[in-house]
Amino acid sequence: MDRNDLLYDVIIVGAGPAGLGAAVYTARDRLKTLILEKFMPGGQINNTDRIENYPGFERIAGPELIERMQEQVHSFGAESKTGSDVTRLEKLPDGNIAVYCDETRYVARAVILAPGSDYRKLGIPGEDEFRNAGAGVSYCGTCDAPFFREKQVVAVGGGNTAVEETLHLVKYADKVTLIHRRDEFRASRILAEELLAKADEPHSNLVIKYDTIATAIEGQGKVQSVKLRNVKTDQEEDYPCDGVFIFVGMVPNTTFLHGFVDLTDGGFIKCDCAYLRTSVPGVFVAGDCRIGAAMQLVTAVADGVNAAMWLKHYYRDPKWWSAPVSDMLQPGGW
Amino acid sequence: MAEGNTIKVTDAEFESVVLQSDVPVLVDFWAPWCGPCVMATPVLEKIAGEYAGQLKVCKVNVDEERQIASQHGIMSIPTLFLFKDGQVVDQVTGVTPNFEADLKKKIDAQLG
Repeated sequence: MDRNDLLYDVIIVGAGPAGLGAAVYTARDRLKTLILEKFMPGGQINNTDRIENYPGFERIAGPELIERMQEQVHSFGAESKTGSDVTRLEKLPDGNIAVYCDETRYVARAVILAPGSDYRKLGIPGEDEFRNAGAGVSYCGTCDAPFFREKQVVAVGGGNTAVEETLHLVKYADKVTLIHRRDEFRASRILAEELLAKADEPHSNLVIKYDTIATAIEGQGKVQSVKLRNVKTDQEEDYPCDGVFIFVGMVPNTTFLHGFVDLTDGGFIKCDCAYLRTSVPGVFVAGDCRIGAAMQLVTAVADGVNAAMWLKHYYRDPKWWSAPVSDMLQPGGW
Repeated sequence: MAEGNTIKVTDAEFESVVLQSDVPVLVDFWAPWCGPCVMATPVLEKIAGEYAGQLKVCKVNVDEERQIASQHGIMSIPTLFLFKDGQVVDQVTGVTPNFEADLKKKIDAQLG
């Protein structure tokens, strides 16, 4: 550690539900806490206006929940910086960890990595081309549905996000075609039922195509059609549309961690999944970016809390880092 | 975080503030109900501060200023256009994983 470094007890990378969940606990424990966030707090949860599976809230919008979490962590004394993109980390000889946002350096006794995840691309011809040109490929229904009034769109996916976003799109577009590569939805039953009911309405503007994948997005200057293939019959068709909305899962935001902590081939952070210890002593992980993540709001928050609890065990006994998972241990010793 | 560095632009002001600007202008087409747009705010404020004097950073609310948004064929937000001498010379759609670096690279290319 340099003499000029201000030492934090913990630096949390990412101010989504996992990072803020951790900060509630560390800050209440009077640990000197710094949260670094490259954008505004919230991450993916900002993109949903209907959260119905956060216990205690019948329904709440993502941005509102995040605002409440932020107020809470600040009231307990956590410090946070937005627009602070962590570019690299370094384990120092004295055991502390340096966190860099370009040239700016922060040092902490421990770190909780909670960088979250980003949307997954389909990886088909036309996707990047029309996306980069702002010409009809979107990954956010809540953002872009209003631009497709009186137009026809194709949505791709079968999980919770795909179903929620499709139910949002039908309020704007003339016609929405949801294509899904399987013959049933992975989404929560309650959402799938709402979707199927919508498709069954007389003169519904929602069409569902099962066992179907998109193989290319085509058009002159803007999206005009999508090439579809039925995976059971191999039948192909050019399906006219003005926009394609892609909701096919998430990928972890971990490229800045290459060479620092151990990652899987898919970019997920390896950890022990019990104490959330990564390959680097003093560096915990929480949320969507770790192996075994359920990619849910509640599990992200819970991860943050777990990491914050086990943090204290590390402070007391750094050698514990290499100890196996044990049923004898209680977090932090209280 | 710097605040108040960006300029809110209306349909009526677009011509004078953006098209007739002496310096390049980064125009952010956004809306308050768009999560990624709101998330990008601190990055745009930061860029506006760092490039003060060389670049203007303007924000067009597509809900209020529909004419400009529709003239430019906006279909996704945030979409950021980089204007130089009244012409669109580059653009970014969506909040990319390395948003700040991506924007700076495009801006620097225009500032030469």
